[in-house]
Amino acid sequence: MRSGFRKPGILLVLAVLPVFAQLVTRDSQFQLTPLHGVDFVLRNSPTPRKYLIETMPGGVALLDYNNDGLLDIFLVNAGHVRDPLRSPVHFERDNPAYWNRLYRQNKDGTFTDVTVQAGLQHAGDTNYGMGVAVGDYDNDGFPDIYVTNFGKNILYHNNGDGTFTDVTAKAGVAAGGWSVSAGFFDYDNDGKLDLFVTRYLDWTPETSKTCGRIEDPMYCPPGEFGSTTNILYHNRGDGTFEDVSVSSGIAAKKGHGLGIAFADYDGDGFTDVFVANDATEQFLFHNNGNGKFSEVALDSGAALNNSGKMPSGMGVVFQDYDNDGLPDVLITQLPHEPYVLFHNDGNKSFSALELETGFGALSGTSSGWGVGLEDFDNDGWKDAFIVQGHVFDNVHSYDNSLRYRDVPLLALNNRGHFQRGNVGPTRAVAGRGAAFGDLNNDGWIDAVTTSLGDGPQFYLNRGGKSHWLTITLRGMRSNRDGYGARVQVNGQVRFATAAGSYLSSSDKRLHFGLGDNKKAEIEIRWPSGIRQTLRDVPVDQFLTIKEPERK
Amino acid sequence: MIQALLFLHLFLQPQAEASQASAQAKVLLQSGIDAENRHDLDHALVEFRKAAESDPSSPEVLLRLGDAYMKKHDAAEAIPPLKRAAELSPDSVPIQQLLGYALLAQGYAAEAIPHLEIARDPGPLGIAQLEHDEPAKAMANLQSALENDPDNPDLLFYVSRAATAAGSQSTDKLLAAFPSSARAHQTRGQSYYQMKMIPEAVKEYEQAIAIRHDLPGLHLELGEIYAARAEWLKAEEQFRAETTLQPGSAEAAFRLGDALVQEGKMKEAADELRRSDSLHPNMPETLYAMGRALAAADPSAAEQALNGVLKIEQNTSLAAQADLLLATIHRKQGKSELASREMEDYRRIQELRGQ
Repeated sequence: MRSGFRKPGILLVLAVLPVFAQLVTRDSQFQLTPLHGVDFVLRNSPTPRKYLIETMPGGVALLDYNNDGLLDIFLVNAGHVRDPLRSPVHFERDNPAYWNRLYRQNKDGTFTDVTVQAGLQHAGDTNYGMGVAVGDYDNDGFPDIYVTNFGKNILYHNNGDGTFTDVTAKAGVAAGGWSVSAGFFDYDNDGKLDLFVTRYLDWTPETSKTCGRIEDPMYCPPGEFGSTTNILYHNRGDGTFEDVSVSSGIAAKKGHGLGIAFADYDGDGFTDVFVANDATEQFLFHNNGNGKFSEVALDSGAALNNSGKMPSGMGVVFQDYDNDGLPDVLITQLPHEPYVLFHNDGNKSFSALELETGFGALSGTSSGWGVGLEDFDNDGWKDAFIVQGHVFDNVHSYDNSLRYRDVPLLALNNRGHFQRGNVGPTRAVAGRGAAFGDLNNDGWIDAVTTSLGDGPQFYLNRGGKSHWLTITLRGMRSNRDGYGARVQVNGQVRFATAAGSYLSSSDKRLHFGLGDNKKAEIEIRWPSGIRQTLRDVPVDQFLTIKEPERK
Repeated sequence: MIQALLFLHLFLQPQAEASQASAQAKVLLQSGIDAENRHDLDHALVEFRKAAESDPSSPEVLLRLGDAYMKKHDAAEAIPPLKRAAELSPDSVPIQQLLGYALLAQGYAAEAIPHLEIARDPGPLGIAQLEHDEPAKAMANLQSALENDPDNPDLLFYVSRAATAAGSQSTDKLLAAFPSSARAHQTRGQSYYQMKMIPEAVKEYEQAIAIRHDLPGLHLELGEIYAARAEWLKAEEQFRAETTLQPGSAEAAFRLGDALVQEGKMKEAADELRRSDSLHPNMPETLYAMGRALAAADPSAAEQALNGVLKIEQNTSLAAQADLLLATIHRKQGKSELASREMEDYRRIQELRGQ
């Protein structure tokens, strides 16, 4: 299949021979499809000085910013890196080539660049772009956008009329340093979305250095730089946030945070936080329910991989892969160690089961970044989609069995055991971000990924015959989008969140593959504590569920 | 290092040559020896030089002069009087020995060899032979020297160097004489692997196997390359081939078992690891891999294997890993106290190891 893709001449021949073409593509789940109207290029501007920021961008968000029912795409750009780079830094973010971009999806599936129209062209000249989080922090029904940077982060308030306003100063969420992934969640169940920001390293251009051979330097590993703290902002509900990193206990732990994911792993009704750390122990912040968090990863068995090693955690997703109703953790990392899968054992503890679940045979020589646990084939089991590509752009000269550019991994879930699936014809890229959602509203989850020096890749799900159900939550007492709700459909559980993956934000709608089932039973535990059950729900539909007023 | 070895000569007292020096030379010689005994080397040198001028054909005088220069760490000045002494008294072991040292110290290994052969001093002779690119001969002499002085770090260093050089020379010969042989491909595979040129290494091993698929070790080495790359399916294939070739090899069985663990084939892995353990009992790595393989299906057997690791290994990274896995097993069984204890041990080891 892949060799066919690399030989366009052969593909061309196959295209006019439909029978053979079907044979070639019959098993592939996705079709790499052009995003008409999206001309974005993630410009990371690599220099010979190997400034570490260059190899880490950039994020992608799938959101319906104008509530027209179609997912739009927001892409974070990086910036121009001068050689040498000196403080005060400038990344030429005023140059349109380095803008973040918002693309509105049109009814015909094409996209229109609405960046200027939306007022999102100002990314801050001293900011080198990283990631994006999406959440309706003021519960006005329109998703807001938070962009992380090396520099200052920016919160864009969605005005509801197709425009956004930079409200960072008022909101007090600029952070500073090197922010990476971020996510909105409601940690105190007060109905207002709070904000968690991971930060990577204590790094500046002045403290930058190179590693490897003098004549062919490479990026240094994170251990060469200082670790740093993550940030938790509490939403006061008046458009401002309070930095509660210290009082909540989040800042008590320093690490090399990259990925962020949320779920209530112990069923106590409060959303917990998992931070994927690069080359240090992973963090599991247990939400104590009183505004404080305890970092419990090591004692819960979720800090180290199966062989007791510290994973090079990049992306992370916190969902239930084995349909036991408990959220598990899947972490992507560097080659030669399998992607880490922490199975939730149900007694506030985890077991590293990456080998038992088949990831030992799937990771191999690839480096993983963005990751999703979604039911791509709608068989009722969440599959994994992982964007891959090495950190070092010259890794081949150090180890010629490794490659900078790689193809994504589709790992199909066969009752809790993962096997390599057929992504379909694709091409190798330096993959980084990944967001998941149903772009064409056909009931099958698609993926949009980012890659350094390249445009985004759109993996259109080719679909199939299985049934599905997609749920939009409408919180009343809970936050408006129901982030943090536990939704169970025919025994499968999803935790409502747009966060997870790497630097990216996915479709907030909750998608369930239902196999042959033609009816669904839905149970929801809202963040407010309200429980709701719906029976005999017809499948193959987009369903909006409103939170009841009472328990 | 050569200098360090040559300090040995300080313990050699020049044997008194049959004293045939002239009367005046004898007086000067004694004066020099007295100065030497007073640790006044500079004065001793002056006296020995005068003695040599007075009687330039006395081997004893010339040996004393050369020895004094050597004690002053001046091998270059020591060589001429010692050469002359050797001409005059070719059978004198002390003269030949000291001349050999001086020449070797100055880098004239080839020239030093015949003198050291006469002196029958295997350590310095081995060093000279190694420097002269005769590693096989060097190896024999250094091993002989090491038998008399087994804890000499310099000798140990040179033995190691000689072994490497001998291996390299054999390799060169192998590659030159039999470039298409399986062993040549295997050797090139090893070299490529050391240089992290993995595809090239794999290709060489594959060629070696194509020529001699029944050669013990080939599949094992190729499997280890795949294993290091986390390409477990390919690794399994190679380790399986090795276990077929060498059913009595505990290592091959362990490698196959470990690859199966990595692939999540826990039952099959446990069987293979048990087989490895029966072939070579109580290898900590085998026991740890058994613990991993059995953790889910048979926690008590896993516990037994991991406790076996902890009986053998203390304060090592493997012991820490065993503690961690035991903690996971206990947690899963709801034995939180035992889990906490294992975690305490894990932390203690990590602290000791500075991690």
